[in-house]
Parts: sequence; structure tokens; C-alpha cells
Amino acid sequence: MDVKDIFSYNWSYLLPEFIILGFATVLSLLDLFAGKRLGKQVIGWLSLLGVVLAAVFVFVNVNTLDKPYSYMADMIRIDNYGNAFKLLFLAGTAFALLLSLSYLKQREVEHTGEYYYLLLTGLLGAMVMASSADLITLFVGLELLSLSSYVLVGLRKKSLQSNESAFKYVVSGSIATAVTLFGMSYVYGLTGTTHVYEISTKLAEAGMAGYQFLVYVSFAFLAVGLAFKISAAPNHMWAPDVYQGAPTPVTAFLAVVSKAAGFALLFRLLLISFFNVTDGSSRFFFDHGSLYLGLMAAASMIIGNTMALRQTNVKRMMAYSGIAQAGYLLVPFVPPTTLFFSEVIFYLFGYLLVSFGAFAVIMVVSREQGTEDLKGFAGLYHRSPSLAIAMSIFLLSLAGIPITAGFFGKFYLFMSALAQENYWLSAIMIITSVVSYYYYFGIIRQMYMRPGSSEASLYVPKGIWTFILVMAVATVFFGAFPGLVTDYIQAHFNPSFDFGNMLPPSFR
Amino acid sequence: MTVSITSYLLVALILFCVGLYGALTKRNAVVVLLSIELMLNAVNINLVAFSKYGLYPSVSGQIFTLFSMTVAAAEVALGLAILIAFYRNKATVNVDEMDEMKR
Repeated sequence: MDVKDIFSYNWSYLLPEFIILGFATVLSLLDLFAGKRLGKQVIGWLSLLGVVLAAVFVFVNVNTLDKPYSYMADMIRIDNYGNAFKLLFLAGTAFALLLSLSYLKQREVEHTGEYYYLLLTGLLGAMVMASSADLITLFVGLELLSLSSYVLVGLRKKSLQSNESAFKYVVSGSIATAVTLFGMSYVYGLTGTTHVYEISTKLAEAGMAGYQFLVYVSFAFLAVGLAFKISAAPNHMWAPDVYQGAPTPVTAFLAVVSKAAGFALLFRLLLISFFNVTDGSSRFFFDHGSLYLGLMAAASMIIGNTMALRQTNVKRMMAYSGIAQAGYLLVPFVPPTTLFFSEVIFYLFGYLLVSFGAFAVIMVVSREQGTEDLKGFAGLYHRSPSLAIAMSIFLLSLAGIPITAGFFGKFYLFMSALAQENYWLSAIMIITSVVSYYYYFGIIRQMYMRPGSSEASLYVPKGIWTFILVMAVATVFFGAFPGLVTDYIQAHFNPSFDFGNMLPPSFR
Repeated sequence: MTVSITSYLLVALILFCVGLYGALTKRNAVVVLLSIELMLNAVNINLVAFSKYGLYPSVSGQIFTLFSMTVAAAEVALGLAILIAFYRNKATVNVDEMDEMKR
């Protein structure tokens, strides 16, 4: 490992992170000294500007970077894998900010300045999680995202639900952190380093030297602890309560950005660290480790889709649906093939559009009805046909019905399971998907076939209406032409089928 | 006389399990946060023990400990702040009474 002078690095690849950090710092100072005098929404628009600027520089990095660039022995590692995830995070945060600009007009959140820059610090944590190859930096990134989202969930200080869900989130999140850290400490003990690529070779040596049991224990701890962030099976219980109590834009942020960040961290850490571990005849990760993740996937799909059936609160239902989606997303990882990277990114892209669209509709309807109950959707078609049709598109996409982005996302995941001859996993995926139709169509039934409490047309703010329209059109468009996205991913992020140049050439 | 690594790991494991048990069963929210702190400190014992007696002794374990202590402090401070906000609304710190949302 060569140690370079700190000034000899080309820092321009880190511009996206610096921009987000700079905006978060400046906006917090601005809010402190001039918060009263500024207009209510100025900080929100400035944060949006920061996110867009950062996205521009990520695109610049994508086009100029030909091989991974490493800062300080991979403390930060700029590669295509991280860049692809960063674009998803930035898009997700931008959407969350757009929803928040409308949401915060309700005055339920008193501290709007904090709200915006905590979204930015959460985003920064997510970006670090996606582009680091060192246990310490990964852990700090994870915690930056977690701590920001704990506060965001509890920011409606006067609401008992919000307080309660924030406390539950802190407790379950801290337990998950401790479990993850415990796994990391064993990994460190067996390897003597925190650098993930060195861990990979040292861990294989430790496995050969008779410490196999400890290697397995550390894998189990890491998998269980990290399942928290993606809300997958052994660690999913927090999701319904937290999603229900959080402000709706924050729920959407947790459902998409936080979950995608969890996947970025989980895939990189588990795949690279345990890549070379072998017991002489079979490779641990590809034979047993990924099977364990397959069990997690199966349990998430079954629990998520069956528990969603009996929910009457729409945000709770979306939480269980999110648990099921986390299960689907783990499927191509059992075991990972060269295609898994583009499949996961495409699925997350579709999920991003659909979730934010659906949560925008939920926000408008529940605000107008004063309840988040499913019955609030009754008669929506007669009150606002365009909103009802958009919501139907989002729900069809979540259910995975053709001509939506969600269908192709699910289709690719399903084909990857079949190609690996994981027939049991594909069977569970199909059966639970069919079960999920029942609750997705439950909302559609309410919208079209049940009489609402009134027939008066529903007022939808212009900005939100445009946002929902764009999401709906994009969902259908990328459902009709999924090749546009998959080809872009393949050409820009994964040209040599090495998981977005995450795997060094020696790992084959 | 030196203490073998097994003893350190055993102490850490017991501490971790005690913490996990406390976090899952205690009714008082402050004790729950305290138990979580036990779990995180078990990790610190592990890391420091490994940095001296691990397979490849090195200083990075101790550096890691500094980070994990800082973050643990921030996490519990945040938990207490949220608990105070909750207490203002409901005047209880019993986790059994946090049942506003239906199961």
C-alpha cells in the first residue's frame, strides 16, 4: 500500500461530496443567523440546487473516470459502482426535497431549516457508504445516514406518533449497529486490517488456518446487522412503525435512498470480504453465504407480502411492501453473477420513480382527508381522475404488471434466479407476487369502485401535480423502453462485467 | 502474567449478550439505551483485544474504537433527546406504553 502526500491527490473526483458537505454547512449557518429573515422555502430551494450541482459532477466523474480512483488507501474509492448508486441517491433526495417543499406548508414541522440540511447530511452518509472500501469509513457513513434519519423521523415534535416512531427507530437502529460492529470486530481480529480488499485475502488465509467458524460467525453478524438498513427479514420489524410515524417525504426518503444505500454497503462489504474464502473444495460465499442471503430474501418476501394483506393504514402497507421489495432485490445475489449489478440498479431505478410517485399521491390524499386510512382513497377516480390513474400506474408497477418499469425490474431478477437454477426462490417470488396483487388492487378497488364521502373535485397543488405526472409518464416510458436504461448502465457503469469495476482483475 | 485473548473475547461476548437481553426486555426506556451502550462497549473490548492479541496485531483496531465510541455517544445523546420530546407529550418513559400505532 503506497501512502501519498495529501496534496498529490486529484481531489476533483470528490467534488460531489464536497458540494453536499459545503451546502449542508453553509445552510445550517444561514439558518442560524438569518433563518427568521429568509423566506420559508429559500433553504429548500438552495438544498435542491446543491443536489443538482452534485449530480452534474457525478456525471462528469462517470465520463472521465476509466479506472477506480482511490483516496488514502481506499478510505474513499471512486468507482462506477459507487457512482451508479450515487446518482440514485441524488435523484431520490432531489425528489424528497421537491415533496418537502409542498409538505412543509402544513406547518407540522417547526424547524424547516434543520429538516433540509439533515436530508443533505443523510445523503452525504449514503454517498460515503457507496464509495468506500474501508470498514471505518463505511461505518461512519452508515452512522451519518442513520443519525440524520433518526432526527428526520422525529421532527414533528408535537406529534406523539412521530416521537414514538423515532424512538423505536433509534433503539432498533442502535441494536443493528452494535450487531454489525460486532461482526466487523471479528473480521478485524482475523485480518488485522480495516481495508476491505486486504481483508479479502487475509480472511481466506484465516479460513484455511482453522478459523472457519469465526469467519462464518462474522458473516452472520454482518448480514443480520446490515439487513436493518434494507429492512429485510430478520431485522424488518421497525419499518411499519417508522414509516407510519415519519413525515411522508421522509418516509419516501427512507424507502428509497436509505434502502439503496444499505444495498450498496451490503453488496460491497459481503461480496469483497468473503470473495476468496474457501474450505478447499467449495467457495464459502458462492455456496453457503449467498444461500443464507437467499433465506433472508425468501423470508422477507413471505413476511412482507402476507403482513401487508391485513393493513388498513396505507403507509404501513407501503412499509410491508417495501420489506417484500427488499426480498426481491436480494434474489440476484444468490449467488451473484456478472449481470447482477445492472439488474439491481435497474430495479432500484424503477422503484425510485414508483415510490416517490406513490408517496406523493398518498401525501395529497391523506392531507385532504385528514387520515392515512385506505378508505381515504374511496371514490378518488370521481374526484380527481388524473390522480387516480397515476396512482394505478404506480401500484401496477409495484405489483410488477407489464408495461411498467417495475415489471421489467422484477422480470430481470426472476430470470437471474432461473438462470442460477434457484427454482425454490423463483417459485416463492412468483407466489408472493400473486399474493401482493390482492393488496395493491385493494387500493385500486377503493379508488374506482367505492363511493367516497364527497364528490367534490380534489384540489391538487400545481407543483405536486406536475411531479406526479412526470413520475407516471416515466414509469410507463421506461416500462416500454427498458433497454434505454439497461444499455446506459451497461455502457457507462459495467462495461467489463466486473460489478462496476468493484472487483480488481486478480479476483476471478 | 498475561491474560489470553479468549478471556477478553469471552468478557466481550457476555457483555454483548447482557446488553442485548437488556435492550429487548427492559421496560424503562433509559435502561434500554443503557443496555445498547453495553453492546457497543463489548465491541470496543473486542477491537482493542484484537489489536494486541489478534492474528495480525495492528493499531487500526484502537483507531476504530475511537470512532465507535464517538458515534455511540452521539447515538445515545440523540436517543435521549427523542425520549425527552416523547416525555413532553406523554409523561412516561415506559416502552410498553409506546403503543400509539397498531400492530
